[in-house]
Amino acid sequence: MSVPDYMQCAEDHQTVLVVVQPVGMVPEDHFFRIYKRIISVNQVSIRDSQRLLYIRYRHHYPPENNDWGDFQTHRKVVGLIAVTTCSSAKEWPQTFDRFHGQREVFGATLYDSRLLVFGLQGEIAEQSRTDVAFYPSFDRCEDVEKRVEDFVESIFIVLESKRLDRATDKSGDKIPLLCVPFEKKDFVGLDTDSRHYKKRCQGRMRKHVGDLCLQAGMLQDALVHYHMAVELLRSVNDFLWLGAALEGLCSASVIYHYPGGTAGKSSGRKPSISQAADAGKRHRPGAQEVLIDPGALTTNGISADTSSEIGRTKNCLSPEDIIEKYKEAISYYGKYKNAGVIELEACVKAVRVLAIQKRAMEASEFLQNAVYINLGQLSEEEKIQRYSILSELYELIGFHRKSAFFKRVAAMQCVAPTISEPGWRACYKLLLETLPGYSLSLDPKDFCKGTHRGWAAVQMRLLHELVYASRRMGNPGLSVRHLSFLLQTMLDFLSDQEKKEVTQSLENYTSKCPGGMEIITLPDGLKLPPVPFTKLPIVKSVKLLNLPVSLRPHKVKGLLGQNVTTKSPFIYSPIIMHSRGEERCKKIDFQWVQGDVCEVQLMVYNPMPFELRVENMGLLTSGVEFESLPAALSLPAESGLYPVTLVGVPRTAGSITVNGYHTSVFGVTSDCLLDNLPGLKTSGCAVEVVPALPRLQLSTSLPRSAHSLMPPSGEELSNSVSVQLFNGETQQLFITLENIGTELLETLEVTYKMVNTKEKIFGEFLSWDLQGPLSQLPLKPSQTVTIAVDIRVKLDFSGQENLLQDLNDDGISITGLPISSPLRQVLKPRAENKPISAEANKTEYNHIKTLEAILHFKYSGGLGQMQGYYRELLLGVHVDVEPSVFFTRVSALPATSTRQCHLLLDVFNSTEHELTVSARNNQDVVLHASECQRMAIQVDKLDVDSLPEPDEETLRFASPRQLEEERQQVQGYQVNSKLGITWSIISFHLQNRTSVSFFVTL
Amino acid sequence: MMTMLGGEPFLLVSKQEQQNYPLYIRSVPSDSELKFHYTVHTSLDVVEEKVSAVGKVIVDQRELYLGLLYPTEDYKVYGYVTNSKVKFVIVVDSSNTSLRDNEIRSMFRKLHNSFTDVMCNPFYNPGDPIQSKVFDSMVSSMMVQTC
Repeated sequence: MSVPDYMQCAEDHQTVLVVVQPVGMVPEDHFFRIYKRIISVNQVSIRDSQRLLYIRYRHHYPPENNDWGDFQTHRKVVGLIAVTTCSSAKEWPQTFDRFHGQREVFGATLYDSRLLVFGLQGEIAEQSRTDVAFYPSFDRCEDVEKRVEDFVESIFIVLESKRLDRATDKSGDKIPLLCVPFEKKDFVGLDTDSRHYKKRCQGRMRKHVGDLCLQAGMLQDALVHYHMAVELLRSVNDFLWLGAALEGLCSASVIYHYPGGTAGKSSGRKPSISQAADAGKRHRPGAQEVLIDPGALTTNGISADTSSEIGRTKNCLSPEDIIEKYKEAISYYGKYKNAGVIELEACVKAVRVLAIQKRAMEASEFLQNAVYINLGQLSEEEKIQRYSILSELYELIGFHRKSAFFKRVAAMQCVAPTISEPGWRACYKLLLETLPGYSLSLDPKDFCKGTHRGWAAVQMRLLHELVYASRRMGNPGLSVRHLSFLLQTMLDFLSDQEKKEVTQSLENYTSKCPGGMEIITLPDGLKLPPVPFTKLPIVKSVKLLNLPVSLRPHKVKGLLGQNVTTKSPFIYSPIIMHSRGEERCKKIDFQWVQGDVCEVQLMVYNPMPFELRVENMGLLTSGVEFESLPAALSLPAESGLYPVTLVGVPRTAGSITVNGYHTSVFGVTSDCLLDNLPGLKTSGCAVEVVPALPRLQLSTSLPRSAHSLMPPSGEELSNSVSVQLFNGETQQLFITLENIGTELLETLEVTYKMVNTKEKIFGEFLSWDLQGPLSQLPLKPSQTVTIAVDIRVKLDFSGQENLLQDLNDDGISITGLPISSPLRQVLKPRAENKPISAEANKTEYNHIKTLEAILHFKYSGGLGQMQGYYRELLLGVHVDVEPSVFFTRVSALPATSTRQCHLLLDVFNSTEHELTVSARNNQDVVLHASECQRMAIQVDKLDVDSLPEPDEETLRFASPRQLEEERQQVQGYQVNSKLGITWSIISFHLQNRTSVSFFVTL
Repeated sequence: MMTMLGGEPFLLVSKQEQQNYPLYIRSVPSDSELKFHYTVHTSLDVVEEKVSAVGKVIVDQRELYLGLLYPTEDYKVYGYVTNSKVKFVIVVDSSNTSLRDNEIRSMFRKLHNSFTDVMCNPFYNPGDPIQSKVFDSMVSSMMVQTC
């Protein structure tokens, strides 16, 4: 016997073996359909005897195993059911002959046989025979089960008669020696008359009878016979059979103790009403006939007296003893090389019993022993089977790791180099089954929590094997998935060299079959979840970026203002309303605008020792419709944190949430969700998208400013211009606004704000006329509108310290004009113009004054306007003002007319250019650079009424300076308009510089 | 030749899911390390079984030394478990007859002392792989002695 039946369990000892085989041409599926119906009859209750007969069906049974039938009767084929097809009466004899032939194979041991004929109709089918059943077709064979039951009953009759026959045989003088196949030659020429020999015969026969009793459902008889057999065989040192007797004892005891069976699955037993009651019933019949105390039984078979229980159990082994006896039996079997299969099967049976008893340590010892049992040359298939069953048994006793180990060995055996047709598919399947044993799951989510803790070396090996097996199976999709998983989860454990190798092979595979995000479902239903590469690259932080300043939307403040929460009825409350909800959902306080490019900044890190190419990296969002504009990037090896900006355009308005990003690395596309990223820093991922707004581009006629203005309230300028002007000069600035968006520009508002207001300015610094431009609204996309802005610089250059230092003490002598009298701010010329020393240069530079202002362009349009949003463009205007003309001395002389007077002005040209100064009704005075001249202007006297209070008053009320300044300003304008003094630089005429009047009064 | 391992300490209380993972593995020579990984990994089944059995039977005076876990053809695998359920496993060559139970026992004790020192390090996070140089050198010296 060379083929072990690894599925055997102790209770198989009480079964009778029936072989069901097809004869002739029987389609496989039809055969197995019938076979299934036949094996459903696996226990038959025998009429009149209350006994149960268990049947074990096999559709394949090696005849050489049958030869061991005397040794253990459950190995003996006692019944044969042949299934055949026969279409015509002509074929019938031939078919029947074949059945005969089949019967010959197991002939010696068969108790009975049946032939099920399908397809035959007519005369032959009419005849009623016990050994043949005719059915018109495979679909019409309602009473198959009934026939099988009858058949089993007939087997039982034979079995029972044999049992009685053998049991009574002992009185006869000659007991035949039962022996196993390999013993036969050993006994040739032995003295058959010796006591020793007789005892041996007796012992073996006892054991045999025990087997028959067990099969016939007489457990107690069996136990008695086994006990006797053990005694007899021990005395003659017949170890093989002693082992068998001990094993029989164990089996019977197991059947008694564990009526549920030890096979793990309740395949053998029909679920009976109650296992315990069933057990009681099953053992009773045996007791009825043999037990010492039949009177204890009531008629219905249920014992009311516990003494019968004691009597029944007295021959039975205790659970501990069962194991001891198994050990003993196995050690006896071990003495015989040819009994390897028996020993192995005994080990397996013992393990199953121990598994039920939950004694894993001892079970593992049995298994350890089983591993070393040498069965001679095993075929590869047998090896696989053996390793698989070892794995299963280890699993049974809870040794998952060991189980996985053997399963993996079995898997490797499937594709051993000695096999001509490697079974990669089987190998792959077995490998998958080992995963739990190595605490691996194929779901990357299980690995995203912190650092991976496990047997990395072993797990990596397994994953590599999975990759290889799936590749050899011809399923590159699977290989890609497993390889991705390996790379993603085991990255920390891969050496640099391995990282290179793995990625290289991954790229090879993906060139044939790109990896994606779909779930791969295996034929057996296992689902392989997608493996997003969240570590290639590693994303450390995600930050949504605000729009550039010029594109940010602003909300028109409502009447109530934005800050008043409508939740509270109070205008003020010391209780701060905590809006936890908002914090949690991480709402960001800026908005994106529909149709405008929005940015998200990721800080990424490449953990690979080589350059990582990430392609098609884009954002995954939910909420509004979002058009992601993917980017490709290439990260240097082991890069530090590296900023990557992903962009996209929201296409509708609403709330948008950035859920993650997608990448394509090594040909594997991944969707990485931020929720699954460990250690990710984010300042919030949800942002409001406001409806579309127009977009303006600003260009000016003046050059851009080199130095940027610092706007006060953290605003940023979209643009700034700078210009250098002489004091009193006016410059026109043309600002062109182009609508570069897609929305209509409907409203436009322009304001300006001075930035540093230290300097005192006379008149409006910036002025413009919006009538013209506004008439062009609404402005269609790509149209432009131009606004002309006048820049006027009128500054007071007096009172500068360095100027004061330079003052000649030629003093101020102002006469005639009462308004001038109290003033000390009359401009003084410098003593020396243009000293060539560096120091002087510096001082001169310092004379330049700076004016800065910011022009605000508020504009809106489209849907955004309806929701109250607008945009703002800021233009910084930076003007360096150089001093131009000073009036160093002012005096008045009465003119010929009493209503007029002559105003004498000493005019000093502080520029480097020749300039002309002209006043109303006067001729021009030409001044060379740094020249001072006196000019006389005849003017009307000022109307005293229009003048404010007299001097003393003024002095008295000097304290409210503002009041005074105001008054002075008014006066200044009045004087200015009267005088109308202008100057112009001759050499700049061509440059179209207009010079405007400047008068320092007061 | 030996390999050793620290298992999951008692931090993970869930008994069904006591996944043991290596804290420290060392073998001489290192070329067939994967084999030892397999050996030690499978030996954990026995360790777990023994530990649960110990819990059932003996309440007082726990014996930390688990003895020979199982013999293979080439190696003997010994086990030891601390009170905090950290496991030590030593694999020695079967042919090395100089190592009897007592020697193995003392090796485990040394190992345990050294491991205690590692745990005393305030910068060591229980459950992290052991990278202590002192522990390393102690193991090395022990391996040199036995080889």
